[in-house]
Amino acid sequence: MSPDTIIATDRLNLWYGDTRALVDVSMEIPDRKVTALIGPSGCGKSTLIRCFNRMNDILPGCRIEGKVMYHGENIYDNGSDPVSLRRRIGMVFQKPNPFPKSIYENVAYGPRVHGIRDRRTLDSIVEESLRRAALWDEVRDRLSRSALSLSGGQQQRLCIARTLAVEPEVILMDEPCSALDPIATAKVEGLIDELKKQYCVIIVTHNMQQAARVSDYTGFMYLGRLIEFGGTTQIFESPRDELTENYITGRFG
Amino acid sequence: MKDKFHDELARMRAGVLGMGFFAEQMLSDAMRALQENDTGLAREVKERKVRLSGQNDTLEEDAYRLIALYQPVARDMREIACALKIISSAERIGRYGKDTAGVVLSLGETRPDDLLNALSLPHMAKLVLSMIDDALHAYETGDLGLIAHHHGRDDVVDKLRHTIFREGITYMMEDPRTITRCTNYLMVARYLERCADHSCKIAEKVHYLVTGERIEIR
Repeated sequence: MSPDTIIATDRLNLWYGDTRALVDVSMEIPDRKVTALIGPSGCGKSTLIRCFNRMNDILPGCRIEGKVMYHGENIYDNGSDPVSLRRRIGMVFQKPNPFPKSIYENVAYGPRVHGIRDRRTLDSIVEESLRRAALWDEVRDRLSRSALSLSGGQQQRLCIARTLAVEPEVILMDEPCSALDPIATAKVEGLIDELKKQYCVIIVTHNMQQAARVSDYTGFMYLGRLIEFGGTTQIFESPRDELTENYITGRFG
Repeated sequence: MKDKFHDELARMRAGVLGMGFFAEQMLSDAMRALQENDTGLAREVKERKVRLSGQNDTLEEDAYRLIALYQPVARDMREIACALKIISSAERIGRYGKDTAGVVLSLGETRPDDLLNALSLPHMAKLVLSMIDDALHAYETGDLGLIAHHHGRDDVVDKLRHTIFREGITYMMEDPRTITRCTNYLMVARYLERCADHSCKIAEKVHYLVTGERIEIR
């Protein structure tokens, strides 16, 4: 395993009831890089990133075999705590989902849950997180306003700020721009580029141009299998697998 | 939408191939005009330059339009990148054909053609034309076997030009009345050598198109 690897899967298999959604997925995800997962609907890419912070555990009938190693430890071992895992591996979803609270409270929520009560500490966490999410300048004078008053793009960046507030190492993003207009999308993409200086970012996207623009590594999935994984430039310039080639050039999918 | 894109891509490829063969024909006809002292044919080759430029402009615009509309990746992207490079090489080849035709016209109709054969220009032309033809057929079929020996073939052409240059010098020293003719022939040898280089450029791009790997021939 490369020393830069932060998450590695080893022959990961997942079943929803009788349906096998992941088939022998083995991959290594490097730290402080953006890794994109692409593939047609139902190929298992969302299922895969949901394995990284054990979001599938709560689904009835879901069964997992194989390993997901995070810092060298299998997160599915008995004794591994999903709550502390999810603090270190945060997630941003397709649709912005701020809490129906103020902008401030949205960001302060996570640190509070983890026991931070001091107002000044919380103030600085909120500011720092909003700055890192490139939202501070737009909301600094209305932190007490409802998060729902923000635009879709701002709400999504608020959700990213909320994720950053608990100081994660990895940020999972499941189609983070699919509900956003092109300008908001460009802002989130610019933000992803900034975030990779400090975090490992894993993004699932249907938008191939987006994967090509924002990521350093790309994995192509098909029918639950990881077909090809490599540098984004290589995948988009000269993919080795014919399936990858056919998918990214729009010949199927 | 993507099917329309691939249709358009196929049309562009056919256009590029057509332009390549058109340029090859210009060079081939110019060499025939030189050998047969056919000023009529030479004039006609010169006139084809307008159509060559037109093809170049249209195909270039097509390529830019396809990039802007479809943001192609992988083989599709290589296809377009390759087309842009091939048309510029093809344009150069066609223009060297035109320049060769210009030589025919400037030498006039009453010249002895003994030196031409003595300098092995027709032989050199044959080698170069076959290199261009193979590169274009490799583009058409994806058969990399056709361009597998371009490196060695280009070496032969380079050496031939060097030989022709030396021979030309001796002819000119021997009989200064041949200087005008000889310098023009040496120029044609230079054009042919450049055309071989362009066939290598095309071969490199075909290799990239087919394999995704960039190589340098020469």
